[in-house]
Amino acid sequence: MVAPGQYLVVAALLFGLGFLGVMVRRNALTIFMSIELMLNAANLTFLTFARHPLHGAPSDGGNAIAFFVIAVAAAEAAVGLAVVIAVFRSRGSINVDELRSLRG
Amino acid sequence: MHDPSALVWIPLLPLLGALVCGLFGPRLGRANVNLVACAAVAGAFALALLAFVSVAGGPAITWAATWFAVGRIHIGAGLLVDRLSGLLLLVVTGIGFLIHVYSTGYMADDPGHWRYFAYLNLFVGSMLILVLADNLVLLFVGWEGVGLCSYLLIGFWYDDAAKASAGRKAFVVNRIGDFGFGLAVFALLALFGTVEFRSIAAELARAAPAEMLNQGLFAGWHLSAALTLIALLFVLGVTGKSAQIPLYVWLPDAMAGPTPVSALIHAATMVTAGVYLMCRLSFLFAFAPAALTVVACIGAATAIFAAAIAFAQNDIKKVLAYSTVSQLGYMVLAVGVGAFWAAIFHLITHACFKALLFLGSGSVIHGLGGEQDMRQMGGLGRRLRHTAIAFGVATVAITGVLPISGFFSKDAILGAALGSENRFAPWLPAALYGVGLAAALGTAFYMWRLWALTFAGQPRSPAAEHAHESPASMTVPDDVLAFLSIVTLALGLPLMGHEPFLKTFLDPIFGAATNTLLTSAVAPASELGTPWALYAVAIAVAWAGYALAYWLYQGGARGVPARLAAAFPPGYRLIANKFYVDEIYQAVIVKPLWGLARTLWRLLDQGLIDLVIVRGSAWVVATISAYVLKPLQNGDVQRYAAVMAIGATALLWWVLR
Repeated sequence: MVAPGQYLVVAALLFGLGFLGVMVRRNALTIFMSIELMLNAANLTFLTFARHPLHGAPSDGGNAIAFFVIAVAAAEAAVGLAVVIAVFRSRGSINVDELRSLRG
Repeated sequence: MHDPSALVWIPLLPLLGALVCGLFGPRLGRANVNLVACAAVAGAFALALLAFVSVAGGPAITWAATWFAVGRIHIGAGLLVDRLSGLLLLVVTGIGFLIHVYSTGYMADDPGHWRYFAYLNLFVGSMLILVLADNLVLLFVGWEGVGLCSYLLIGFWYDDAAKASAGRKAFVVNRIGDFGFGLAVFALLALFGTVEFRSIAAELARAAPAEMLNQGLFAGWHLSAALTLIALLFVLGVTGKSAQIPLYVWLPDAMAGPTPVSALIHAATMVTAGVYLMCRLSFLFAFAPAALTVVACIGAATAIFAAAIAFAQNDIKKVLAYSTVSQLGYMVLAVGVGAFWAAIFHLITHACFKALLFLGSGSVIHGLGGEQDMRQMGGLGRRLRHTAIAFGVATVAITGVLPISGFFSKDAILGAALGSENRFAPWLPAALYGVGLAAALGTAFYMWRLWALTFAGQPRSPAAEHAHESPASMTVPDDVLAFLSIVTLALGLPLMGHEPFLKTFLDPIFGAATNTLLTSAVAPASELGTPWALYAVAIAVAWAGYALAYWLYQGGARGVPARLAAAFPPGYRLIANKFYVDEIYQAVIVKPLWGLARTLWRLLDQGLIDLVIVRGSAWVVATISAYVLKPLQNGDVQRYAAVMAIGATALLWWVLR
């Protein structure tokens, strides 16, 4: 039996890794994957609290939200990849440091 | 007329005519526009005749309708034909029709022909609303409508800046009067909660003038004081619309419009709206003797003042314009001494002979190819014989050298002035009579001067030598009006009983007011009879004016006016420049207003709004953007993500703390 706190620690680590990836990597595809990590960290937290709620009996609310997040993440990945491909086609690069044409 | 709803068609026909002429005029062609415009007014005249015959022998016709109702205030759009409005209906539609016919000749070659007839029909429709209204708000609709048409027609030839500006002047000056009218209507609404004539009359019949009001706008006022204030506010409106001192200045300038317009709007109908209003509200004015005294003084002063200005005018239309102001002064004087019927009498006769004078002057101007300066005329009696005869009839009527219409109506007013009593100033009736008589002398002088300069003597210019007579569409209306100028004298004859016919005829309308006045500070002349002595004085004065004009301008002393003018240059200049009233208004009112407007423009428009509010707000936004927002938006996606993360963390901390 694993304690709920350990799941949360894993989730926090995953989230931190994802955040770090978003902040430091320059490749847009890598940033995307890091975002997926963060989303899955959030999913893990939802599932943990669905199984071990702070008050009352376990419920399926957290599970439902996890499925919801998976669906949204899939859609986001599809749109995001399309954007990345389009950017690559027009600019020949997906380095976000070079994509600054929206500067004010 | 059995069906009162037929009344609606009296104003509606000309309004529809205006719509047709205005919308389809250019496509209809001149002949069809003439037909539509004249037929609309002729139809209104026929209906008005039916209505008049019905009310002359029976009760008043009313047609009720609700315009709007807010809370306990109910504003109707009802129409009322009684003997007073019936007479006015005939004047407006009858003379209106004649002038429409005349205009088909006068405006035949004008490029704005259809526009002219659209405006003219719109005017007749508005005037009929004014006359038919059974309440003050609907009357105000007509009042403003005729003001609008007056503006449009004065500035009809709008590409001439002076004419456009004359139209604007008329509109602005009338606006001052309308301000008083509006306040008076609101005050009546506050006082009685109704604006309908017969409801107000009923309220007043119940009220005691000395009664102290204890609620509403006029709490703590005596009823008579409130009514005096309301009456004076109405008088302000009247001085605007009927061109009385101090607001008469727009009327002489209004001659910039086409001459038939001057005849219809600025002589026969619209300018008499103020007199009609005071007669319509006779029951109210009867409760305000102080206001009536003011009215009488304004009327007498205007009559003599305008007559004096007319002495030295050389523009034929300007003489007639000041003559109109002067004659309107007589009507207002009649109201002021409580002789409402005499005001209406003079209104009717004046409508006939002054319309004729203007139409005649229009024929002269037309015949001379647009010349209006009388110094360039002379000897036209032989060339424009038809016009000259009609014009002569009208001149006789207005000056009263022979007892036809104008003689009787003017004498009725002078007799009423002399016979009235005024407890504020017992000497006032005699003074009013004296001033009125002097104005009559002036009228005879300037009108016969006009005659002598225009039709008598020898031609003084090539245009006058080759003047041509106008077409039949212009001379036939002249003939009809000349006939009317003679026969309307019958209204002043004792046809029924021993009092003038019109007085007896209008007694159901003005009886209540007269009875109220008999016990008040301004008592009208009670018994008129046939004042032979007054007739003798009046006719002597008229002949004196004629003789003077003949002697100075036609007879042996033809050089005298020029020598007089040369001998007393300041006096001549004073009169020729219309007593500098326009200049005084310019300096005292217009200039300071200009200055105020300029200051406000500089301070508020340019300073506050343009600089501070518009440019200032734009400057603030631009500065904040340049120094704060622009560096934030550097295009680095990861910086955005970092800021978002910081924000999310802060939010989380704030929620969980």
